[in-house]
Amino acid sequence: MSAWLLNGLVAVPFAFAVLTRLLARREAAAVGLAVLGGLVTLGWSVAAVLVPGPDVDVPWIAQLGVRWHLGLDGISGPLVLMSTLVVALCLVSLVRHDPGCGGRAGLAALLLLIEAGVLGSFLALDMVLFFAFFEVALIPMWFVINGWGDPHDEAGRRRAATRFLVFTVLGSALMLVGFMIVRSQAGTFDIVQIAASYRPSGAAGVTAALLVGLGLAVKTPLWPLHIWLPDAHSKAPTVASVVLAAVLLKLGTYGFVRFWMPVTDPGWRLLAPFVAGLAVVGIVYAALACLAQTDLKRLIAYSSVGHMGFVVLAVSTFTVGGVQAAVYASVAHGLITGLLFFLAGAIKDRYGTGDLARLSVLYGKVPRLAGLFAFGAMASLGLPGLAGFWGEMLAIRAAVYPSSGLPAPTYTVLAVIAAFGVILTSAYFLALMRGMLQGAPAAVRPVNEEVPSIELATREVAPGTVEAGALRRDVDVMEWLTWAPLVALTVLLGVAPGLLLGPVSEAAKAYFGGLP
Amino acid sequence: MSWVLLAALVVPFVTAAVTLFTGHRSDVAAKGISVGGSALGLVLAWVVALAHLGDAPPLAHVFTSTRTVGPPIELAVYVGPLGAAMLILATTVAFLVQVYSLGYLADDPRYPSYAALVSIFTGAMSVVVSADDLWLLLVGWELMGACSYFLIAHHWELEDARAGAVKAFLITRTADLGLLFAIFVLGDRFGTYRLSTILRVITEVAVPRDGLWLPALLLAVAVIGKSAQVPFHTWLPDAMPGPTPISALIHAATMVAAGVFLVARTYPLFLSSPSTLTFLALVAAVTMFLAAVYAMVTHDLKRVLAWSTVSQLAYMFGGLAAGAWSAAVLHLLAHGAFKALLFLAAGSVVHAIGGATSMDVMGGLRDKVPDTFVTMTIGFAALAGVVPLVGFFSKDAIIHAAWEEARHGRLVWPWVAWLLVVSMVATAALTVAYSLRAWLLVFFGDGPEVVHDSPATMRVPLVVLAVPTALGGLAVTVPGIIGGAPGEHLVHWSTSVLMTLLVVVTATLVLVLYRRRGRAMWGPVVVPHPPIDWVWDRFLVRPVRWLAVLVRAGDRDVIDAYADGAAASARGIGGLLRRTQTGSVQGYLMVVVVGATAIAVAAGLLA
Repeated sequence: MSAWLLNGLVAVPFAFAVLTRLLARREAAAVGLAVLGGLVTLGWSVAAVLVPGPDVDVPWIAQLGVRWHLGLDGISGPLVLMSTLVVALCLVSLVRHDPGCGGRAGLAALLLLIEAGVLGSFLALDMVLFFAFFEVALIPMWFVINGWGDPHDEAGRRRAATRFLVFTVLGSALMLVGFMIVRSQAGTFDIVQIAASYRPSGAAGVTAALLVGLGLAVKTPLWPLHIWLPDAHSKAPTVASVVLAAVLLKLGTYGFVRFWMPVTDPGWRLLAPFVAGLAVVGIVYAALACLAQTDLKRLIAYSSVGHMGFVVLAVSTFTVGGVQAAVYASVAHGLITGLLFFLAGAIKDRYGTGDLARLSVLYGKVPRLAGLFAFGAMASLGLPGLAGFWGEMLAIRAAVYPSSGLPAPTYTVLAVIAAFGVILTSAYFLALMRGMLQGAPAAVRPVNEEVPSIELATREVAPGTVEAGALRRDVDVMEWLTWAPLVALTVLLGVAPGLLLGPVSEAAKAYFGGLP
Repeated sequence: MSWVLLAALVVPFVTAAVTLFTGHRSDVAAKGISVGGSALGLVLAWVVALAHLGDAPPLAHVFTSTRTVGPPIELAVYVGPLGAAMLILATTVAFLVQVYSLGYLADDPRYPSYAALVSIFTGAMSVVVSADDLWLLLVGWELMGACSYFLIAHHWELEDARAGAVKAFLITRTADLGLLFAIFVLGDRFGTYRLSTILRVITEVAVPRDGLWLPALLLAVAVIGKSAQVPFHTWLPDAMPGPTPISALIHAATMVAAGVFLVARTYPLFLSSPSTLTFLALVAAVTMFLAAVYAMVTHDLKRVLAWSTVSQLAYMFGGLAAGAWSAAVLHLLAHGAFKALLFLAAGSVVHAIGGATSMDVMGGLRDKVPDTFVTMTIGFAALAGVVPLVGFFSKDAIIHAAWEEARHGRLVWPWVAWLLVVSMVATAALTVAYSLRAWLLVFFGDGPEVVHDSPATMRVPLVVLAVPTALGGLAVTVPGIIGGAPGEHLVHWSTSVLMTLLVVVTATLVLVLYRRRGRAMWGPVVVPHPPIDWVWDRFLVRPVRWLAVLVRAGDRDVIDAYADGAAASARGIGGLLRRTQTGSVQGYLMVVVVGATAIAVAAGLLA
């Protein structure tokens, strides 16, 4: 039963991808089928998480000792659920929303193919299998960005797509080399055995850890390897931006937890602190970049770099608390940034631009859309009571109390800098809201302009009226349907952190035997 | 009972959600739901609170506990006498604000989001005062900051409102980092995030003097930011463009009051660290005087009240620093009543004369808005400390305690204690002066025509608040009701007589000036503002913006370099490297940032 569930989690989206592609001539039916596929996969993943069972572990490429080893635990489970949900929502949004540039059916099929690759990566417990699925998830994205990206900038999207592919494939190649070295040391590709018994040492161990880390750092991305990201995220069509930010970045963070931590020794005095340092630099750097951005989608893309910085900081503490924080922040980032990219796409559709200089007073023009955006911004800046808070605050906590072999003063300094990164994050989101959502509609003048007063009473601009500015369509039913699950889960994970923290810590303790 | 409390905490959030989702369909529904929900929350909170005032055993309950590494994060509540009193204050003021807003924002199209935010605000404050787990407290604490951000920016079409909101949020959130790190330290030291356990351990086990200075100091920073004390004080007066009922809510019962509450709640921790108390006393002494001076010279009615809040909160911190827990808490409650009254009455005045908040255009309003005049008079008198109103007793008790502390105290460094006493007495005189000045300027002399007197929904809350303002002083006879030490005497005849003398002399002086010089009184005096905003701007905001532009340019530089290189793919990586090495902006920045990291890493290696 369990084998069916685990294999099916990869096979179902793959099968639906093939079927959708075959049906591409009849677009509406194909999209319908893809949505069905997304929902079935979502249901399947829920079943797989709820019914725990033994791993699937059979020989795959026997000559090389590569095994088809799939498993699901508290570390991968939350990410699997988040991914299937986000992809399903992306497919649902395609029903009404046509990004142009070509058939929706092809896009839907590629999304399902990416989903199959992503789920395979999350389930894989064999290093080569992980690498293979990783590639399956990456390559279709090139087609998506290249084919369905920004319709106004063909050269730009082509460049962004190629850059994305070159960087990430180069990264995963380094990772594969690293895996090979680990295999030569540990004698197996099986990461569960490696986590249980492998003690990295010597030049080979360090090189392997460096290469694996480097490969994952490109995907995560870790500063200064992030430069592929802003272009890819901002040129991609809305659904692809959502999948890129919410799901694909998690391959990197998950890889750090699952594959980098076991092949790295926290006792090495330089590697982990250096990774933590880069993560913190990324947090501050991304926040600064966001403060000066002029394009909405680029801004959200850069904000992801900062959020991923918190995740890597948590990982580099080598504690169970750090693993908890990393998984929590990954899931929360998927929900919140997914929502923000959906909203950014909706704004871009309505106004034909993401240029922040040209967007203003959205509170007045599209009050519900603007209200949702304000919610997303508050969640992303880490407001307590919403999902974004726990992961990042626990990451900072983990950094204050890192694993015993690590230099505590370094980490304390880094934790304090990261905490100020939170303030910078608040600053750019508030600046964004001030410029984009708030503002003075041209028609409005205070009624008591002659009266000296702090509290000026304006002739109230009723939101959504012509007075408030050029009217656009506010949130429609299909959009509510797509976004509501993200909003609801953001609140749920904000008020009930135990839902995730408990299972993750159990799994982390089981997986990393000796972690403090 | 714990489930009633949970309901009282949940109801405001549910009310807010329902108001948001259904409010825009029907005006009546929005108003009904928000006032009804507020009333329900009020009843539930009172039921819980009344059962736990005085000697009753405190309500402590853990609903769920999250297994984590390190201490568990728990949904734990604790309502002792202090929490109960604060629950009553918060929910009552919030309910009155909701009723008042029916009139004040009668045809505001943004009413649904406004009312929902007020509900969340109330819920967040209730969470803060009844939380036992520090993380839960932090959730409520920062949620209030976010609500105040949205409410200050209620009129988002006005530049002042937008700027004030951002300033309030950023300053308080920066200070909140203190609370976050205090939570880390306390959790690590005591193995639990539960406040009641931590405080019991501190009380029972003799902690070495200043052994816990770090968490205490971190908490003090958070509290100073939240309660707008020097040097974080500048956000509160700039928060005035929000609707007046919001000012009443923020100043009286929630946001800024939470700072004083937190010190009172974690008092054993502060008592164990006299250095922190000295720091707090110093901040309070400076703040109360400075704020009172600003209140003396400002021409805006709402700003007078805002500065007076800053000044009065400093009294409470001064009292706490001097060891006068009961007096400070009583002053917090008293201030909650009379400051809510004053702000709502000010709103009524502003409403009546058509929106102006400057006192220059007010005057002669005593016959035109009689109810507001009577209630506001009571409020001003209480603020000035006129016998026998509520402010008189609590303020005297604080001043007496500071005096005792200065003479033979052991908590605060002596010279700071003396500074505190002097500052308190001087501030008391200034308080009388600015209260009387505002009262004269608003209600006497010649003034504008009244557009309309306020509706009953706005006048009834004033009357309701005037009752505790006038009679609340009786509470000093039973300090046990808020958990003070039994048999504690809060009334001291010598201080009372001296302070009353001070009130009479100052008032006479002001009246004489008013007779001689008319409405100018001591004007035109210009008080130079300490350049704190300038410092923030010059040393923080501008460098950050400058860096941001640099980062953006640097990143674009690299990407362009890569893109150029990609055209001739063989040279791609070479181009990237070359560009980063040619001393462009990116190059310098990279060196700076990597250097900073290297130093941090090196610090660890050497340690």
